[in-house]
Amino acid sequence: MKPVNFDYARPKDVAGAIALIGDESRTVKVMAGGQSLGPMLNMRLVQPDLVVDITGIGELKAVTDQGDRIVVGACVTHADFEDLRVPDVTHGALPSVASGIAYRAVRNRGTIGGSLTHADPSADWISILSAIGASVTVEGPAGSRTMSVEDYMLGALEADLRPGEILVSVSIPKLGKGARWGYYKSCRKTGEFAHAIGAFLHDPERGASRAVIGATESKPIVVAAATAFIGDGRGDKPAKGFDANATAKLLEASGMVDQIDRQTHVVALRRAIERAYPA
Amino acid sequence: MTTINLTVNGKQLSATAEPRTHLADYLRDCHNLTGTHIGCEHGVCGACTLLVDGVPTRSCITFAVTCEHAHVTTIEGLDDDEIATELRAAFKREHALQCGYCTPGMMVSARDVVLRMESPSEHDIRVAMSGNLCRCTGYVGIVRAVQSVIEARRKRGAGAIPDGNRKLLGPAGSGHSSAVAANGAKPRETSATKAAASVAAAPARADANWTPQTTFVQSFTVEHPVDQVWEFFGRIGEVATCLPGASLDGEPVDGHAEGRIKVKVGPISAEFQGVADVSRDDATRTGTISGAGKDQRSNSATRGLIGYAVKQGDRPEQTRVDVTVGFTLTGMLAQFSRSGLVQDIANRLIAAFVQNLEAKLSAGEGAARAVAAEFDAGSLFTSVIIGRIKALFASVFRRR
Repeated sequence: MKPVNFDYARPKDVAGAIALIGDESRTVKVMAGGQSLGPMLNMRLVQPDLVVDITGIGELKAVTDQGDRIVVGACVTHADFEDLRVPDVTHGALPSVASGIAYRAVRNRGTIGGSLTHADPSADWISILSAIGASVTVEGPAGSRTMSVEDYMLGALEADLRPGEILVSVSIPKLGKGARWGYYKSCRKTGEFAHAIGAFLHDPERGASRAVIGATESKPIVVAAATAFIGDGRGDKPAKGFDANATAKLLEASGMVDQIDRQTHVVALRRAIERAYPA
Repeated sequence: MTTINLTVNGKQLSATAEPRTHLADYLRDCHNLTGTHIGCEHGVCGACTLLVDGVPTRSCITFAVTCEHAHVTTIEGLDDDEIATELRAAFKREHALQCGYCTPGMMVSARDVVLRMESPSEHDIRVAMSGNLCRCTGYVGIVRAVQSVIEARRKRGAGAIPDGNRKLLGPAGSGHSSAVAANGAKPRETSATKAAASVAAAPARADANWTPQTTFVQSFTVEHPVDQVWEFFGRIGEVATCLPGASLDGEPVDGHAEGRIKVKVGPISAEFQGVADVSRDDATRTGTISGAGKDQRSNSATRGLIGYAVKQGDRPEQTRVDVTVGFTLTGMLAQFSRSGLVQDIANRLIAAFVQNLEAKLSAGEGAARAVAAEFDAGSLFTSVIIGRIKALFASVFRRR
């Protein structure tokens, strides 16, 4: 259970990191908090020649307010959200979801950028950030690119990173006054990877109504107009209008063949919507 | 080797260690602080939990070098800590330990719960402590101990500190030290540069009683007639080139082929070298293939048995291929498995394969047919490869 004898570098800025990552003569792995990469290194599933530790880069641990959104550095941790060291602009959505990621000792080191780049379908950030409508910015030798969170994840364990690129920041929109959100994950044991995730956002001020079904076998399914599932979202109990059949059909069309699996995901989304409109 | 400096339990300590040395090993091996216990060594059991910059951290998946100049508190450093002192008394009173192996980690996590949570219910405590496993107590005593300390402290007016007094952003332990350059060591030998002869050229199907751990069925269609597809599948070398990362060591002989495939998904890369025995029945257009492969880097091995059938598709110019794959994976890769992700990875691989296959079939009308007989033996090597990849990923990602 000891990693291979890798070389180690801790660059002081993003440019230094990009220069190291671009070295094609060696197997290079970027490490942030290392809470997913650490176990894989210990088990020698990952055997890099060089580990580039990006947690010494101050810029990646900063949060800036840009008016209608906050931009959070890739190395900001789950606990930073949970403890509100990152200001909450989502009516409690991100702090609440962050507090349910793995265990506290993991949250103290695990990072938002590491989680998104590791691209585990069962991880929390990819689903809730897709619902919120967040975007990410990557930087590389050819400059920077910005894309939506759901586009950043290509599939299981694959993020849209070209050679030499790293994720530098996540941009989180400030939700409107009347915005409502709900999140539900199905786990048999606290802290384990979810079997199904439902995430829901209705933000009339920004004209956003999004539903996300996560913890599939690939990237989450994002429905950009969740009105398809819950009608117009008005009335006393919008969750009553939840269309389980339409959701199940969507899942089936996406290749989820197992009926129990489908049902678990349908229920996760329904419960997420119910949580957005508590009785 | 790197010199690693930490402030441990208030003392400045220094030692040389490799960058791969995790914090628990650094403390135990370099400084004889054996109070930090190592259990699972992959971040699941919580036995190694200690405080880095005052907050709980898994020391088995935190590398010492990444914590340069950080403040570390181990169980040895909690002797005079107020909450830990109260917890020790409560653990004794409530029989919250038997063998004691999990106790250092339990104490650190329990201290964090007492420090941060104002008035948690029993359920809240169980959830907050769920990252620490104990195989002796059934947790009842541990939960009672935590609960009793919290009650006593809140009664005396010692309130909770929800953020645990952490004010900095970023991973605990980071940011105390300046940049470190790589030492420029040469890349290690990879399996490809080592002698490739380690996989015995013995028949893959050595054990008639072997049964696979996992079986699944996969189908795909190509826009070409059945005859053409069936015939193309006979040309193993060309079929292998349709799969990214696959190559054959040579032409197959008497239904026996040797080859390799490089697989890279996320941070994992593996190169399986293997052998395959194939059979092919022209009358029913079905075949079987039995394969075995080994990844040198991870010292993992896989065996697979594949059945396949090439059929008429829905339209005359369309062919459907049904594949049944059974496989077993052993070794290091098998320890870390997530079965749920197989389908996505297999789907993406098969999509790439089908795309390449279509291109080959379209480009190769006529010209390529002449060489068909040469490769007659190895009709479904590709499916073995798909099977191996599926085998790999089926087992690599079992939920942690």
